[in-house]
Parts: sequence; structure tokens; C-alpha cells
Amino acid sequence: MTITLALPSKGRLKDAALEKLAAANLKVATPDDDRRYRARIDGRDDIEVAFLSASEISRELAQGSIDLGVTGEDLVCEGISDWQERATIGARLGFGRADVVVAVPDAWLDVETMADLEDVAAEFRQRHGRRLRIATKYWRLTQQFFSRTHGIQVYRIVESLGATEGAPAAGSADIIVDITTTGSTLKANHLKVLADGVILKSEACLFSSIKDRTAADQIAVDEVVAAVAAL
Amino acid sequence: MTSRIPQIADDIRAIFAARGAGMVDVAILQPADPFLDMAGEDLRRRIFLTENETGAALCLRPEFTIPVCIDHIASKAGTPRRYAYLGEVFRQRREGGNEFFQAGIEDLGETDIARADARSIADAHALLAGVLPDHELTITIGDQRVFEAVLAALGLPRGWQKRLARAFGSKEMLDAALEDLANPSRKLTLDEPVASLIAEGDRDALAAHVAGLMTDTGLAESAGRTSAEIANRLIEKAELRSVRLSDEALGALKTFLAIHAPLRQAGNALRDFAGDAGISLGAALDIFSARSRCISELGLPEAAIHYDAGFGRPLDYYTGLVYEISAGSRDRPLVGGGRYDRLLTLLGAKSPIPGVGFSVWLDRIEALKGEG
Repeated sequence: MTITLALPSKGRLKDAALEKLAAANLKVATPDDDRRYRARIDGRDDIEVAFLSASEISRELAQGSIDLGVTGEDLVCEGISDWQERATIGARLGFGRADVVVAVPDAWLDVETMADLEDVAAEFRQRHGRRLRIATKYWRLTQQFFSRTHGIQVYRIVESLGATEGAPAAGSADIIVDITTTGSTLKANHLKVLADGVILKSEACLFSSIKDRTAADQIAVDEVVAAVAAL
Repeated sequence: MTSRIPQIADDIRAIFAARGAGMVDVAILQPADPFLDMAGEDLRRRIFLTENETGAALCLRPEFTIPVCIDHIASKAGTPRRYAYLGEVFRQRREGGNEFFQAGIEDLGETDIARADARSIADAHALLAGVLPDHELTITIGDQRVFEAVLAALGLPRGWQKRLARAFGSKEMLDAALEDLANPSRKLTLDEPVASLIAEGDRDALAAHVAGLMTDTGLAESAGRTSAEIANRLIEKAELRSVRLSDEALGALKTFLAIHAPLRQAGNALRDFAGDAGISLGAALDIFSARSRCISELGLPEAAIHYDAGFGRPLDYYTGLVYEISAGSRDRPLVGGGRYDRLLTLLGAKSPIPGVGFSVWLDRIEALKGEG
């Protein structure tokens, strides 16, 4: 039997993941042709490596069609409903760090915390004839954070498929929930992160899917997780 | 093949007819925006969404009150008017089916608030008593208006009153708000000249400063929050920072929220509370008492009705009475009802239309009948 380990198919995430695995004595024999999407691990015929996009990895983990996957925590938290029931974090990998944050315009001098935002959201309709609008591609994380953690119900999400940080200036939303690494994009767009507005401190993780597998497969999964976690 | 329509449906329709509420038909496919606007985005994961070919969001009706109100506004029908409904609603649920039957009456435009409130409870009670003759029913009522009157009478700053009123009905939110107000931790981290302008209370200069910031950062005044709004809230915040919820007021609020009394004694309990706290509850108490009298006149079993001062629903269109009727545990009420005087205006009615209504869970009734 073999297990499947999915790795990001391109970019820095791919390189960093390969480095981590090599350091854990799991060297991926990368295909000569960069466009091939399958590989093996030296000395481990029981592990098949698949190169997928980071968001596909999150989806495949949810469906249990792969055993292990390296992808961003934000994608798993956002992409999978009740993700803890379908996957577990085997190891945090220390790269691909990014925070999912709530950011408001700099000019909103009176809004520093989520409690301030709650106040503003509650009165928004009365003042402006519509609900406060949040531009984001993180629907699930936004709902969980606003509704469940902070009890803010009255807002609307505006789907944003790119350049979310431009939404307030463009007038398509009032505030945003987006990912940031250095904060420079937010700054350039005159947005500030709320003091308690960090929804998730995300990084790349090695996830294992929760599913029934043979004893041999389970041992292989556990070995990979243990080797990477020990780094 | 058995019909999916509950066997009790005919009985319920007969009860509605006897009580003078005409049945209405409500489309199953509804525009999703009114539901998301009223109940909030959290509803999104609990409804079945789809869209039409122009991309407008539609959903399978998750409840009846909002579509009944929208249809009423569109029909320009006169008021008062009573609408009854019975049909399926669709919600994503972890347990139980995703489609189940609800029935209820929405009572729109009756200006005698106390009488309409009492009649709504009587309608719901008559329905349950009709289909569950062998079960003992308990009715719990709460009142948003009374809570707001307590907040106002205690002399709390307006900003706090609004925050606490929004949290009413959610113990966690209310506890968090009270904790926050008793122990303020609002550090202001504002630079000059903003700090000085706030200290001087110079609204116009502050608004001008914010307007300058907005222009510099490409934020249009017309697009959303205005500089005046931001300046006003800065000053309001600074004022609130210097006040702390007094132990006296906090104590009074906690005493109030703990009031739990049979309806017959509830009016006196509220009067005693107000007397001890040295406050007057004014019109809110008058309406409460008038409603209690109407309930008594309608012959409802008063001993089965309890007032719970902390019972409410944290949705901003509820304005007064809320109630539940259960057979046994309150975890799974058979009926939920309440007054929503703000809802029709929010949905686009030109002038305010008061409304009160209830919904029964037919699947829960059937389950109880099955047990019996």
C-alpha cells in the first residue's frame, strides 16, 4: 500500500517544503521535467508525492483523498467546514507565515478595537441605510471571528477576488479582512489593523487527513509526521 | 406513500381560521439579501443559497416572518391585518432534517400594543393546546422595552445603553459588555493634534482634521462613514472613558436581570425593583402591566406564564415582548414569538408598522405526539 503526500506545486512554498522534508531525511526525487506532477521519496516506496496547488491540497485533505499535505493554515481553516474533524496539524513548518487580519481605514481614528467596530456596525444601517460592508475572500474566518468570537452580527460580506486592500478607497466596501505578511500593502492603502483584529496567525503546516487507512499506511503517515515534527 | 405534510396541519389551519387569521402563500424561493441584512451574515452558513442568471442571490425560505412582511409592504394592504402561514422552511442543520414545517401568525399594524401582544400569545397557546391537549404548557416572556427603560432610568451614558441593549438576550455578550463597562481599559493612542482637539471638545476642528485625512488617503465622504461621524464618536469615546459604571448601577442591573417571577407577580416585582433602585420605568412598565391585564382577560392560564427579565433576542429589530412556549424543557421550545416594530421599516415600509408574531415548530410537536 502507499500513502499520498501532497506538496505545493510551485514557488517558495514548494522550495521550502522540499527543504524541510530533506532535512527530515525524506528527500523528494524531483522529476527532471518540472511540469511532472508526481514524484517519489528516496528509499520510501510506500510514499507517493503529488504536486498540487495549495488550495487544492486543502480540498483534497477535506475529502480524504490524500493522506498528508503541506499547505497554509489559512487555506485549511477557510476552505474546510469543521476542519478539525477532517484533518490534524502534524507539524508547524515555520515558513509561509501570514496573518489574517481585520483592517479599517487610517482615517477611522475612533476605531481601534473590535468593540469599536461593533459599535460602528450596529449604527451603520441607521446612519447610512445599509449594513457595514467587509471585503474579503475569507468568508468563513470572517463569520467565525465576527459572529462567534465578537458577537457582531450586523454586517455584510462583499466577495473580493483580488486587490481586497483597495476596496475601501474604491467604495465597494468599508473595511477588509485579508492576509498580510509585512503590513506594507495595508500601509500603502492607508489601512490599519485593529489592536485585537488578528483572526489567525497562519503558517505552512504539514496536515494529515483523518480517515480509515490500513495499519501499514497509518504507520507510514505517523513516521512522516514524526520525522518532520522532530525538526 | 405518506404525505409529507404533518397530520396536524388541518387542525392548525382550522384553529387559524377560527381566530380570524387568513392563510397566505409565500414563495419558497426568496431573495437572500433581506434575510442576510436582517439576521446577519452568520445566517449564510445556515441557509440554502443559489443565484439566478443575473447573479442575484436567492435562497430557499429559511423562515416566514420576513417574506410575509415584504409581501405585506408590496401589496400596500391596509392595516391592521393578520397573516397566517403553514409550510416548509429550509435550513442547514447538524441534527434533524434540513426541511421542516413551521406555522404561525404575523399580526401587522395593530396599534394597541398590549392587546396585540396578548392576542399573539393567546393564538400560539390556542394552537398548541389544540394539537397537544394532554401536555402541560409553560410560557416564558421577556421584554426588551423594559430592559431599555432600566438602562435609561439608571442614567447610563447613551453609548452604553445602546451597547447593553444590543447584547440583551445573550448572556455572554451582556456579561462581556458589563465587565468592560465596570473596568474600562480604553487607552487612547492618538497623536497630536487629535488628542488636543478631543481634549478641547472642538468637534468642527476635529472633523476638519479627519476630513483632511480622508482626502489624503482617497476616502470619499459619500462612500461610507463621514468625517463628522468619526469626530463625534471620538469625542463620545473620550467622554465615556472618564466614566465608570458605578457599583450601584451594576448592582441594580444584576438585580434586574435576576428577576424571574410568575406573570401575576411580575408587575409588582418590577415596581419593587424600581422603588428600591429609586428609578421610574415609565411607559415600559405601563405597557407591561396593560399586557398582563389583557393576558388575564383572554383567559390564558396565568399560573403557567413566567416573566424572565433577562430573556431577549439579540437581533436589532425586536423591540418589546419576546416569548416562548414549551412542553417541558425550555431547550426545545415549541413556539418562539415576539414584537418586531422596527422590522417593517427596515424592510422598506414608508411609515412605521408595528408587528408581533410567532412561529411553531411542527416537527417538535409531532415528536411529542409520537412520545405520547
